[in-house]
Amino acid sequence: MPDPVVVVIEDEPQIRKFLRATLEGQGYRLFEATTGGDGVVEVGSRQPDVVIIDLGLPDMDGLEVIRRVREWTAVPVIVLSARGQERDKVTALDAGADDYVSKPFGAGELLARIRVALRHTAGASHETDEAVFKVGELRVDLLHRQVMVGDKEIHLTPIEYKLLTTLVRHAGKVVTHQQLLREVWGPSHTEQAHYARVYMAHLRHKLEAEPARPRYLLTESGVGYRLAAE
Amino acid sequence: MKKKARLIPVTQPVKPTSQKVPAFFRKSDWLSCLFTFVVMLVVGLVTSGLAARIRMQAEAARQREQRTAALYAMSRELASTRGLDELLAIAVRHISDVFRSQIVVLLPGTGGETLVSWSGGQFTLDSNELGVAKWVHEHHQPAGLGTSTLPGAAALYLPLQAPRGPVGVLGIHPADRHALDSPDQLHQLETFANQTALAIERAHLADEAQQAQVRIETERLRNSLLSSVSHDLRTPLATITGAATTMLESGTKIDAQTRQELLESVREEADRLNRLVQNLLEMTRLESGALQLRKEWHPLEEVIGAALSRLGKQLADRRVDTHVPSDLPLVPIDDVLVEQVLVNLLDNAIKYTPSSSPIRILATSTGEAVTVEVADHGPGLPRGEEDRVFEKFYRGPSNGRGAGLGLAISQGIVNAHGGHIWAQNLPEGGVAFLFTLPLAGKPPASVPADA
Repeated sequence: MPDPVVVVIEDEPQIRKFLRATLEGQGYRLFEATTGGDGVVEVGSRQPDVVIIDLGLPDMDGLEVIRRVREWTAVPVIVLSARGQERDKVTALDAGADDYVSKPFGAGELLARIRVALRHTAGASHETDEAVFKVGELRVDLLHRQVMVGDKEIHLTPIEYKLLTTLVRHAGKVVTHQQLLREVWGPSHTEQAHYARVYMAHLRHKLEAEPARPRYLLTESGVGYRLAAE
Repeated sequence: MKKKARLIPVTQPVKPTSQKVPAFFRKSDWLSCLFTFVVMLVVGLVTSGLAARIRMQAEAARQREQRTAALYAMSRELASTRGLDELLAIAVRHISDVFRSQIVVLLPGTGGETLVSWSGGQFTLDSNELGVAKWVHEHHQPAGLGTSTLPGAAALYLPLQAPRGPVGVLGIHPADRHALDSPDQLHQLETFANQTALAIERAHLADEAQQAQVRIETERLRNSLLSSVSHDLRTPLATITGAATTMLESGTKIDAQTRQELLESVREEADRLNRLVQNLLEMTRLESGALQLRKEWHPLEEVIGAALSRLGKQLADRRVDTHVPSDLPLVPIDDVLVEQVLVNLLDNAIKYTPSSSPIRILATSTGEAVTVEVADHGPGLPRGEEDRVFEKFYRGPSNGRGAGLGLAISQGIVNAHGGHIWAQNLPEGGVAFLFTLPLAGKPPASVPADA
């Protein structure tokens, strides 16, 4: 398999330098663009496996770049955004971004996001979806509808199970409240964000050793949830 | 004198020959009688005239006294009042009562050129009347009704002249057009106008003094912020710069372990800088009033969990006991902000207590509000400082780290939610920070159960 290609759209030279060092060190082939306009062209010509984009670009809004890119490709897009801009993150995710990293971020965090993104594209192309999801002590057997923590089987209600499997489908990626409500309760319930929160609390009490310090079912404040994947 | 001169020729012709006729009937006696009558009449007229004058003067004095009393009453009330609107309301009420007139006050607009009617006036001015008022303001002289300038106006306008210059115009519209004709009335009215002008100027001066005070206070805060922030920004930057240059210049001379330690301190200090910047941003948003709450119904356990995981690295070897009852209701909060409150409280507990000492988080509900407690087992707060810790730039005595903003921000956020926050030393040692989050508003639709 050839090295995965990453297009970075970022105007800040120091961040580009840091990304180059990190990504090339991990065997990614990197192409850089400093403006949104150039970024769209790079994405079109390089056929990347992952796109990393800063929302604050000099020539156009990062959101606009995401929308343009989404017109012709499903390539995973990871957004670089600052904490305190939760609304921007949700908007970017709604516009078609797959995930985000909050600035300042460590190399480990970014690499984990990229791995998750690549895994999801790989999963989508091979229809042989893995039937068993495993992280830490948690084991979800999608074929036999069986959930285990360690060697203890956990009984979930239908909605709890549906919530968990939705998160498993997006394992490692952020899932917004809206997305969860749509996928679990249906499109008519997207205003009832507390449904998701209440059921997530139920799930944590059944799956987590310390529900107030979750290991698997992580909260992304103001945005949604993320099921730990590694 | 003239009368006396005539008396002599009348009395002199009296001769001894007319001794037979009684003196009473003598012509000269009759004249004398007439004279007496005239004298008496004159005296009577003069006396009654004088009495009337005295009465009039007494009446005038009484009126003056009344007005002086009224003036005194107004001055006293003005002296004990703050705020331009209140002052003007008092002046209008008093002048209107004393002179049985409707009153307006016109004040210079913000540009200083135009005159604007104060909203509490008792009659409105058409453009002609406004023209008269403007003339008065520009020429510092009375005009309008009862004066020689523009006497056709419906009302009399007096300049409100204060020591530092004109502050406005007083308009008087009497019930009776001739009520203000006497110079005495006008003079009295001017006295009232002067008192009003002085009061307006006093209000202006008080405003200016207050603004100056605010400027000084802002300046003081800014300096304090700058010195505090520059110190807190420079300390981690110094560590980062030092570590980076050491590695650059020493090259391979430093061993792998030192290198690792330097790199870790770079990361820790960068984290610290990040937290400081975050707090500064929150503070700015709170103070500029730009903070918008995005309230939704949240299980508190989730928010506590998010705060704990954000502090993950710092909390790694700490025991944190969290007690959230399973029947605790959902709370209407902005989760990102309440998470910030918890992070700040936990961050404090970490900063001011040894790493072996556990932290306790407790949530309880009274039905009207949820109370959250973050308690540590550290040295506690100095006695009497329980309220001061929420002041901006307050720092604990034992540790100078941090900008002293965390608790001030937490208080701002909790207050914005309609709750309150306080600190209390615990009898068993350590300090507890408690805050309430009201369960206000319509509770969310109940979540459908599934089997």
